[in-house]
Amino acid sequence: MSSKEQFNQISPSEFFYRNRDLAGFSNPTRSLYTAVREFVENSLDACDHSGTYPNIHMIIKAVDPDKPDPKQYILTVKDNGPGIPSKHVPLAFGTVLYGSKFGLKQARGMFGLGATMAILYGQITTNRPVKVKSNADGKLRHDFEMLLDIQKNKPVILKNEEKASSEKGLSVSICLEGDYAKAGTKIRDYVYQTSLITPYATITFDDPKGEKFNHKAIIRTMPPAPTIIAPHPYGIDVETIRRMLVDTHYQIPNVDNKMIEKIRKELGMSKKKFSYNEIMKKTVKKWKSLTRPVRVVIALMSFLEADFEKLQRIRIEDVDLRNNKLIYWDYSTSETLAADMDTESVYYKQLANTVQGESLTQFLTKRFQRVGPTSAVEFCKFAKFKPETRVGNMSDQDLVKLSDALQTYEGFRSPDPTCLAPLGESPLARGIERRFEPDFMAVVQRTASAYSGFPFVIEMGIAYGGNIESRGTKVYRFANRIPLLYDEGSDVVLKVVNDTDWNRYKVKNDSAPLIIVSHICSTRVPYKTVGKENVADRPEIEKELRLALQFLSRKLSGYMSKKGQAEMAKKRANLYSKYLPLIAQFCTELAEKKNEPNYKQMLEKENTIEEKTN
Amino acid sequence: MKKKQTKASPKDKSKNLVEILKKHGAQVYEDLENGQFPKISIPNRSISNIIYDKKLRQYVLGTNTALRSAKNSSQLRSFTQLIWLAFFANKLTQEKKSSTLRDVYYSSQAFAVDFEDQSESDNIIVDLEAVLTKPREDFYVFPEERSSIFGDLTIEYTIPGYEGKTQNLSSHPDGYAIGPSMTSAQLVDTSAELVIAIEKGGLFTRFVEEQVDKKFKSIIINTGGQAPRSTRTLLKRLHDEMKLPVVILTDGDVYGEHIAMVIKSGSANAAHLRELTVPDAKWMGVWATDIEKFKLPTIPMTESDIKRCFDLQKDPRYQEGIWKKELEVFLKIKRKAELEAFSKYGLTNITDKYLPEKLEMAKSL
Repeated sequence: MSSKEQFNQISPSEFFYRNRDLAGFSNPTRSLYTAVREFVENSLDACDHSGTYPNIHMIIKAVDPDKPDPKQYILTVKDNGPGIPSKHVPLAFGTVLYGSKFGLKQARGMFGLGATMAILYGQITTNRPVKVKSNADGKLRHDFEMLLDIQKNKPVILKNEEKASSEKGLSVSICLEGDYAKAGTKIRDYVYQTSLITPYATITFDDPKGEKFNHKAIIRTMPPAPTIIAPHPYGIDVETIRRMLVDTHYQIPNVDNKMIEKIRKELGMSKKKFSYNEIMKKTVKKWKSLTRPVRVVIALMSFLEADFEKLQRIRIEDVDLRNNKLIYWDYSTSETLAADMDTESVYYKQLANTVQGESLTQFLTKRFQRVGPTSAVEFCKFAKFKPETRVGNMSDQDLVKLSDALQTYEGFRSPDPTCLAPLGESPLARGIERRFEPDFMAVVQRTASAYSGFPFVIEMGIAYGGNIESRGTKVYRFANRIPLLYDEGSDVVLKVVNDTDWNRYKVKNDSAPLIIVSHICSTRVPYKTVGKENVADRPEIEKELRLALQFLSRKLSGYMSKKGQAEMAKKRANLYSKYLPLIAQFCTELAEKKNEPNYKQMLEKENTIEEKTN
Repeated sequence: MKKKQTKASPKDKSKNLVEILKKHGAQVYEDLENGQFPKISIPNRSISNIIYDKKLRQYVLGTNTALRSAKNSSQLRSFTQLIWLAFFANKLTQEKKSSTLRDVYYSSQAFAVDFEDQSESDNIIVDLEAVLTKPREDFYVFPEERSSIFGDLTIEYTIPGYEGKTQNLSSHPDGYAIGPSMTSAQLVDTSAELVIAIEKGGLFTRFVEEQVDKKFKSIIINTGGQAPRSTRTLLKRLHDEMKLPVVILTDGDVYGEHIAMVIKSGSANAAHLRELTVPDAKWMGVWATDIEKFKLPTIPMTESDIKRCFDLQKDPRYQEGIWKKELEVFLKIKRKAELEAFSKYGLTNITDKYLPEKLEMAKSL
């Protein structure tokens, strides 16, 4: 064993550079596809959140068309979204783990990681810079060319120009090693399926062979944009609670001139110099109208017996509630002093509360969704905490106990789905209708449900016949409006579809022109892999998928039995007109008759029956 | 010399069959004329409807029948096939043209009646047999010939081109094939007092060489393994019309025993047919008990031999007499012996020693 092992800290860029296959950049085929996805999804997300009908134009061009694959391609994705303010461009595209997507709401991408990965991949395979053109205000376009400094996780700007332009939007162009010969089918599928689940978007694609794919928007309604919301108690761990506590802690306000101005204003004692006693008198009168920071500072002043002048000379070091001492540093004497605090005083209570933070019930109702005052008290009873426990006083063990109880308590209402943006039944239906013109179609949107604290909604559509060319059950899988194309076999949707006994719904499974469109919306889709291609089989999600599919299958079954009856009647009539003449011929000879029996009336009768059933 | 005592001549048989076919055709014709979908009732041939008739001493079909209707779209095709076959059988019978199962399959294609494969057409043929309760040989569908006959028997042909011509079956030492012309011939007379059916061609030749026909006043028939129906029909006619007793000689194994049983009392497969059995036929060997008695060289029974023994033990016909006893002995010794095993003691041992002894014993069976 070597004792010289080195422990180096590596930058996030370097980490991803070393583990790029985790993010879907394992080979030229997969990388080209992943890069396309990342850029298109970023563009769609940007348009969605700004409420713009997306118009996305993608171009893939070979640098040298005559070379065999894999070779260098230039990938350009242009959108009409809000753009990125020019000061953010270098960081957004030049560093890993920089993004605006860390809140809890539904978005296609999670962390804005993928685009940077694509840029990183392009740079290491071709050593060419990324070109970003951003116009955020509809006046000025900023053109950047830059490289990533992998070790330092910092952008290196090579060129930065400004041009007057009225078109808002963002255009990103990278050069990368890819294999379009192999990735082409998937990329075309991806573009096609994206347009299916985003029927309000226009997506055009110029492929390297000179073909143009144009998917026009077919509806003019956008689903409402998702909002950022507080987390649900389920699915919260100790670390998250700790971070939330830090956020919520009331700090002793900084006492500066601004603060003193504020106190003067709230007490209505603006100009003159006031003594300590005068200030306290006024405070008693005005207490109810004072804001919390002002109350806190005045509480401090009461124990220090300080006027504004003295207040400016000191700095509070600690509020020691155990010994009831207020520790402070006096600038004029340069020493640490302590003042006693009278525990009977109202000011003491004010100060103590501030230092100890909110009560547990307050913390729960304010910081989480779906927790009201009543359920907070109920929960405290369940978790064996006193409702008035101050969160600032809770020990590590208490936090673990709290987090465990939050997971096991069953009284919380299910998560708020307003942070989700499902497509909606009607847009989904129209998307399917326009793309497939099916003979039969049904869609359903289930009500929101949740798995370990993350809300999700299942939307599903089923279509039969018409322009559907595939045979057997073809499943189009989507998650947060992203088509999932790889790793179909291990996906939960496929599992549910395959578990279905289609004979029960009068569908011949292997030959039916049947498609199923499944859309899972969630603040966090439980992907099995970082590549985001298949959804893990969480029981809650599986159950919702199953219910949705059963609902649709029953509708399909109704259609199939009607269609089946009509088809059967037609088939029977065909059979009769084929076989009855033969029977007539043979029995005539057997019976040694001269003329055939009059069976034609029977055929006519059968044909009228058939028309009736139709 | 025994003279034939006429029961039903082949000619009458044909006439009778044509009548039945015509009756069915007329019924279908009438239905169509009246705007009704025609239907035919077919005896159910599934295992649940096959029962053993102790009086007849053979398997017969029960009373279950299935109605095949032209109205039912899933039966329409097979109904048409059945009517076509009736029509085709009628033609064959009237024109006295023989054909095989395979011929029927190909003939259908001339009439736009489609059979998916031969097994489908074979099945329809059995359906028609069941409707008519006549074997297919009656409507001129014959198996491949592999069975032969030798001995002093004079026949008179009835087939076109040979009508009235007679033939004595002892003039050609290789024997005569039992085909359509033989089955449909009149049996005129014979000097034989016995029919010996033997399982194997080799032994058949030996018997002819050793003049078993003369020594034992017998007609020798080679069944070629499991006896074809035409051979069984001929055996029955020799027994019924010429009043000749029938004895059967097979290999000394469970399959041999069953070959004898099928000649005697038919098979479950042909439960829809009568007149194929010779209930008085006797199996005279080679028995399991003979193996020890004659010290025959043996080979061990295979697993499927043993399984076959257990299967047959469930058959009602194997519940008594030598049938039951021999099966038990086979299972006990778990060995079998072929007819050729006698050659250990000289090629003529079987005809010189074994046959006379067993024939004597058979009289008491």
